Amino acid sequence: MSILKAKSVELPNGKTITFKRSKAPWIILVLLICFYYSVQITGFDMQVLAKRIGQFWVIIGDMIPPNWKYLNKLWQPLFDTIKMSLLGSILGAVFALPLAYFASSNMIKNKSVVAAFKFILSLLRTLPTLVAALIATFIFGIGTMAGTVAIFIFTVAYVGKLLYEQIENADLKAFEAMHSMGHTTISAFRCAIMPQIMPNYLSNAIFCFEGNVRYAAILGYVGAGGIGLMLNESLGWRNYANVGMILLLLVVTVFIIESISEYFRKKLM
Amino acid sequence: MIKFQNVNKKYDNGYEALKDINLTIEQGEYVAVIGLSGAGKSTLIRCINRMHDISSGSLMVNDVEVSTLKGKEVRKLRRGIGMIFQSFNLVNRISSLKNVLVSFVPDMSMWRKILGLYTKQQKIEALEALDRMNILDKAFIRVDQLSGGQQQRVALARTLAQKPSIILADEPVASLDPITAKQVMTDFQRINEELNMTIIINIHHVDLALEYATRVVGIRSGEIVYDGPASEVTEQILEHIYNGKLEEELSGN
Repeated sequence: MSILKAKSVELPNGKTITFKRSKAPWIILVLLICFYYSVQITGFDMQVLAKRIGQFWVIIGDMIPPNWKYLNKLWQPLFDTIKMSLLGSILGAVFALPLAYFASSNMIKNKSVVAAFKFILSLLRTLPTLVAALIATFIFGIGTMAGTVAIFIFTVAYVGKLLYEQIENADLKAFEAMHSMGHTTISAFRCAIMPQIMPNYLSNAIFCFEGNVRYAAILGYVGAGGIGLMLNESLGWRNYANVGMILLLLVVTVFIIESISEYFRKKLM
Repeated sequence: MIKFQNVNKKYDNGYEALKDINLTIEQGEYVAVIGLSGAGKSTLIRCINRMHDISSGSLMVNDVEVSTLKGKEVRKLRRGIGMIFQSFNLVNRISSLKNVLVSFVPDMSMWRKILGLYTKQQKIEALEALDRMNILDKAFIRVDQLSGGQQQRVALARTLAQKPSIILADEPVASLDPITAKQVMTDFQRINEELNMTIIINIHHVDLALEYATRVVGIRSGEIVYDGPASEVTEQILEHIYNGKLEEELSGN
């Protein structure tokens, strides 16, 4: 147990200083135990992995070359997917602002209001997008409307959470000055806090949109419209050439949107 | 006119910040409030624009009883009182001009507020206020790129645009170098003389207080222990204001 023993050194002038002993060996031990049991519980088997990994390459091989003729049928669902995420993201980001305002303890003095809004936001966050989309299909029927609603809910929760944290960390000096010159709290928020949080707010909204395009692609699985519907169908038919086409199109689209988003977010900072 | 009558202020934690304050300040005076940190200087001036509530007594500002005002009336009171802070309290990410323009916002219509649309007249008034503080050339510069002295001038311009009758300044020169501090004190003097605004300054620099202010109020543990012309402040009086606590403790022992 020598590694766990506290070390002490003596300075030339006779003072002794004791170092804190490292907890790293214990942490590593706990992690190893966790790793062992997770392998046992999940039934992970190296032999199965080695035996079946070949199938992965077979499927990849089937996807190449992709079925280019299928492309014509994909544009409409692709645009549906992008429309879904764009509309859901914009509406979500807009709605996140008032929710975040009411969830900020430094703006709203009433503690129960703050707690209620924080609860709403975390409740929305715990709802997985796929589940939200599924529920939305029951309410709005199969199609892009359900997907838009699901993305809207996710965006409100995500942007709202980051936004209220920013508001709570904002510098309140200018806010105090606004109050001293007769602003209402809302007006002081508009003039003193908004300029501070705006760049991050927009950046988060764009980042969220970027992620939403990827999410939207799989929402079709639960019937919420877009390219996911085609993906589900092609996979069902084991038509890997079509699947390859869809994946290629998605990769290119996501890459383009990410590049645009990155460009604008850099500009904002 | 500002009139404190038997004003007491007790914080929620039981700390007595102001004890039986009686003080009358006429329109157009230039008053320096001096005293140790924690003596109650800041509390005193923040009661005037109701940033703090008083616990008992009466506080009249321009013939309005401040302690009973509510909501909208408080904001109306504050419209007539400017406030200057130690750390300037500007919105850092926007230009000087926009910082000055926010002083018009409370009187604007809802949609103009939301969109941040200012009239040409307001822009002219804001530029005039900047010009009065000699920083018109910095109108379109973001305030975080200005020096401390320049930022305090933007803050003064913001306050001037509000057209107050009283300016409260809480340690306005504490974070400035000595030369800039003098300039800012001169700015206050100019505003005081040219526009007849009442200036009340909390200040740690006694030399600046005596040089620029016409009246000095000395505060020690929540009580006014000196109130008189700056020209009559002597070494002994300063001793009384600053070391009184020490004297008390010594005599107590």
